Amino acid sequence: MLPDQAYEALIDAVGQENVSREPVVLDGYAWQPTFNYNPELWMERPSAVVLPGSTEEVRQTILVCNEYGLKFKALSTGWCVTAAPWCEGVVILDLRRMNRILEIDEKNMYVVVEPCAIGAQIQAEVMRYGLNIHMIGAGCISSPLASATSFMGHGWDGIYMSYSPRNVLGVEWVLPSGKVLKLGTPGSGLGWFSGDGPGPSLRGIMRGAIGACGGVGVFTKCALKLFNWPGPPVVEAEGLGLDTKTELPQHFKVYLCFLPDWDSFADSMYEIGEAEIGYIINKNALGLLLSVIFPRLTRKIAKRKAIKETVDVLKNEFEIILAGNSEREISYQVEVLEDIISRNGGFLFDLGDNPLVGIFWWGLVRNYAPPILFRPGGQFMTLFGSDDSFDSQVTAARLGERIKKEWLEKDLIYDDLGDTSWMHIFENGMWGHCEVPFIFDPRNRRQVEAVMPEAIESVMASLEKNLGVGMLAMEPLIRKIASPMQGNYNKWQKEFQRIIDPRGAADSALYTGEAEIDLSTIDPNKLQKMTEIIMKNLWTESGPPR
Amino acid sequence: MTDGGRANADIAGALVSIVGEENVSVEQDILGDHSRCLGPSPVGDPLSVVRPGCPEEIQQIVRLANELEFNIVPASSGAPHLRGGAVPSGEGVILDLSRMKRIMRIDRRNKVAVIEPGVTFGELEEGAAKVGLKVLTPLLPRANKSVLASYLDREPITIPKYHWDMTDPLLCTEIIFGTGEFFRTGAAAGPGTLEEMWKAGLGLKNPMGPSATDIVRLVQGSQGTMGIVTWASVKLEVAPQIRRCYFLKGETFGPLIDFAYRVLRRKMTDEFFMLNAPALASMLAKNNDDIAALAAPQSPFTIVFCLAGYAHLPEKRLAYLEKDIADVAKQCGVEIKREIPGADGMRMIELMDHPCSVPYWKHRAKGAAFDIFFLSTLDKLPQLLAVMTGTVQESGFHAERLGLYVQPIQQGRACHAEFHLYYDPSDEAEARTAGDILATASERLAYAGAFFSRPYFPWVDVAYRRCPDTVWMLKELKRVFDPKNVLNRGKLCFSGVE
Repeated sequence: MLPDQAYEALIDAVGQENVSREPVVLDGYAWQPTFNYNPELWMERPSAVVLPGSTEEVRQTILVCNEYGLKFKALSTGWCVTAAPWCEGVVILDLRRMNRILEIDEKNMYVVVEPCAIGAQIQAEVMRYGLNIHMIGAGCISSPLASATSFMGHGWDGIYMSYSPRNVLGVEWVLPSGKVLKLGTPGSGLGWFSGDGPGPSLRGIMRGAIGACGGVGVFTKCALKLFNWPGPPVVEAEGLGLDTKTELPQHFKVYLCFLPDWDSFADSMYEIGEAEIGYIINKNALGLLLSVIFPRLTRKIAKRKAIKETVDVLKNEFEIILAGNSEREISYQVEVLEDIISRNGGFLFDLGDNPLVGIFWWGLVRNYAPPILFRPGGQFMTLFGSDDSFDSQVTAARLGERIKKEWLEKDLIYDDLGDTSWMHIFENGMWGHCEVPFIFDPRNRRQVEAVMPEAIESVMASLEKNLGVGMLAMEPLIRKIASPMQGNYNKWQKEFQRIIDPRGAADSALYTGEAEIDLSTIDPNKLQKMTEIIMKNLWTESGPPR
Repeated sequence: MTDGGRANADIAGALVSIVGEENVSVEQDILGDHSRCLGPSPVGDPLSVVRPGCPEEIQQIVRLANELEFNIVPASSGAPHLRGGAVPSGEGVILDLSRMKRIMRIDRRNKVAVIEPGVTFGELEEGAAKVGLKVLTPLLPRANKSVLASYLDREPITIPKYHWDMTDPLLCTEIIFGTGEFFRTGAAAGPGTLEEMWKAGLGLKNPMGPSATDIVRLVQGSQGTMGIVTWASVKLEVAPQIRRCYFLKGETFGPLIDFAYRVLRRKMTDEFFMLNAPALASMLAKNNDDIAALAAPQSPFTIVFCLAGYAHLPEKRLAYLEKDIADVAKQCGVEIKREIPGADGMRMIELMDHPCSVPYWKHRAKGAAFDIFFLSTLDKLPQLLAVMTGTVQESGFHAERLGLYVQPIQQGRACHAEFHLYYDPSDEAEARTAGDILATASERLAYAGAFFSRPYFPWVDVAYRRCPDTVWMLKELKRVFDPKNVLNRGKLCFSGVE
């Protein structure tokens, strides 16, 4: 229970109407089943929730936390367990009141936003200027600032619009000590066009590959890169979700491309990247797609061998949107794509005037569909995700396929026909991404309890192939085993934490926390292998294994 | 022998025990090369030059520096240095990394090379070309310029569409911090050995991480004050099958900037940069005899850009781009040319594709040059040029010796702008005037919108004066990575860090 004095201090910071310690309100912030290993699916009930409306109110709230020995955690659009309290005594800063687009610099292609300006809102505004913003896999309902500064940031437009943390320019950041730090040009009062320097870039302690998930403070403003949008300033779309109807604009094409095997699939991706064509490219797990669109039907047909074999044959598929600034450019891109797919033994399906084109085109551009991933089973988890060369991502996809098969046979995950991976490339194929999602029913205790061993198994498979730990790197129990194999990075993170958070005010479990794995949940043979992998890869005083 | 002399002898002796006698120099002529640069930075006092051959030797040297408390100044490029980052502030041992020049791997499929600090642009270009790749270079690097030194200093590359983020084209690194500890960034964090990672199909292409760190960003731009990079993976790109160079001439900035914004947004070009007449003449000239004749017929400002076709339908790509970019030029009221006085496209490509011949291009006009460079946005350039021109005019310096090079970065979202003051090094008064202009202009430009993201003398003070919170954080981080302050003491905002 939050002490009265602290409660009063929070009211002083943000106003009575923006503070609550009512259990019924607080529990809304503790129910976090997505990406949650804990079979109870609840996290700690926060001590209070506040809704700051400005940087100063964020700062005052943090100072109160420091003064009263409370912890704090910021929440923007909060999609999963990373946004929940991980310990007792946490004050949640729900940033929903800070939802403004502060500036659109059309010429220099960036937008300055607050934490709860969502992707759809920003995209609708910047498209009027012929610009677009990178959308993440969580969809247009999520906060681009959050993914840019704090957690992940993959999305299928990465081929043209990169990856959230690489799209950050200037940043305003309230440290856990209450100090406000501005990165790059805003720190020198020179606008928002750069986040790096003078000299070393402090973006180096802001997030990294995975993000600190709120463990380093609160990001209150940032500038994000915008990219060319050759489509109409306003897209006329009718209907919602899977019923969306819209016209494919001039100079756009949408294709489904099918390749005969993983090798030709990978070769095609590499060639598309090198040819510098494509606006959006994405491999969706086909079985997952069917499960999402037709959950009941998929449940009925999933056990049929012929269906599985069909999906298996078609699994090396990707969707691609080509976008041209002129008829000449789109014609060139189409010709190149046809050539690449044909030479790699595949075929492509032009969605053209097909009624599905609206769902695919606008669904991928506006990115409104991801939340329906909860439809088939009620919950899902995602594995792998250590980005690097596309070949390494194909390795991850294959590993995921193998692992998933085992858990499917035990009926511990929803049968999405065994098709596995969500993949795309970034920056003209500079690197790639692969996640392996699996769906489960949060009301099914067996399935819920299987989540952690499944995750551990994927991490071990990834480590065995030198692929890193991927998306689970933020987990305290994964950090405990991964850090000593990766240069003891948590030692340095703790050093940064000491500087920015001398009184330990941030809920930093997902930044520097370490926890022991419950070894009883792991098969003894797999445990033996896990130990061998760890011992082989440990760093020593003289450096990395050589 | 004085106490200081004895200490220096002890250091040299200990260094010899690490790298061997042949790799430690204390001769005055060698030390002299490292005591000064061609810029206005103060002269330093190198004690010795040590040339390690591998990361483990670097680690031992850093540990020795912690023990004996001496200053290490990393240097990878050959002398003469231009900006003072490799010149000690006071005394220092030069850590000359030029012996470490292995190209450890070139991976055609993943378009990446892994290189040691001593590899020069020319060497990497030769290796990359063999497999159909090209190196992303700054404009006319010196022949002995280290690729890693350039990338670690965030020197801008000439192809803005490949500059997605400020770390580009630098990817993964191995670092030895001032504590003597190793670290690996990005996908190179592993786990495993490099060989195991390569065997598993990794390209070391993901520059971020591990986990919630992005330490490469702290080492880049640090002038060797945070850590020493022992190798790095760097982005390469596909060598075009066909490439043409074009020019756009302008009497004023306006239409050229309009054109730049439009084409950069669409990622249409390969190389793209802008020069004023004196800088363009310096680039084209073989020596100072040619400069005046080459500068006179040029327009005040010229954009140089290339269009290219790659493996797939290269001619078709070039053809559509030529037509589309001509449409853009028409909208901007400018005309694209295939040649300018003194050069056609082929000549310009020849220049861009090779390290700079001697004399260095900025020194051709008068024998020497001072630079001042910063980041801005293209739309702010006219006012910044006015500030610089005004400062030059006030000083009585020759207006025709003010060079300007503008390099769009981050796909056109910002630009690197640099002014050159071409001066005669034998004329002390002129050199002094040029130095004074730099100092005055630093202050004025900073308050007119210039962001000194790479702080060198004489603008380092104004750069950091404007961001006290950044300085606080940087000093804290310096204490973490280099608690005994053994790495390039006194640079950036780190004078007085203990």
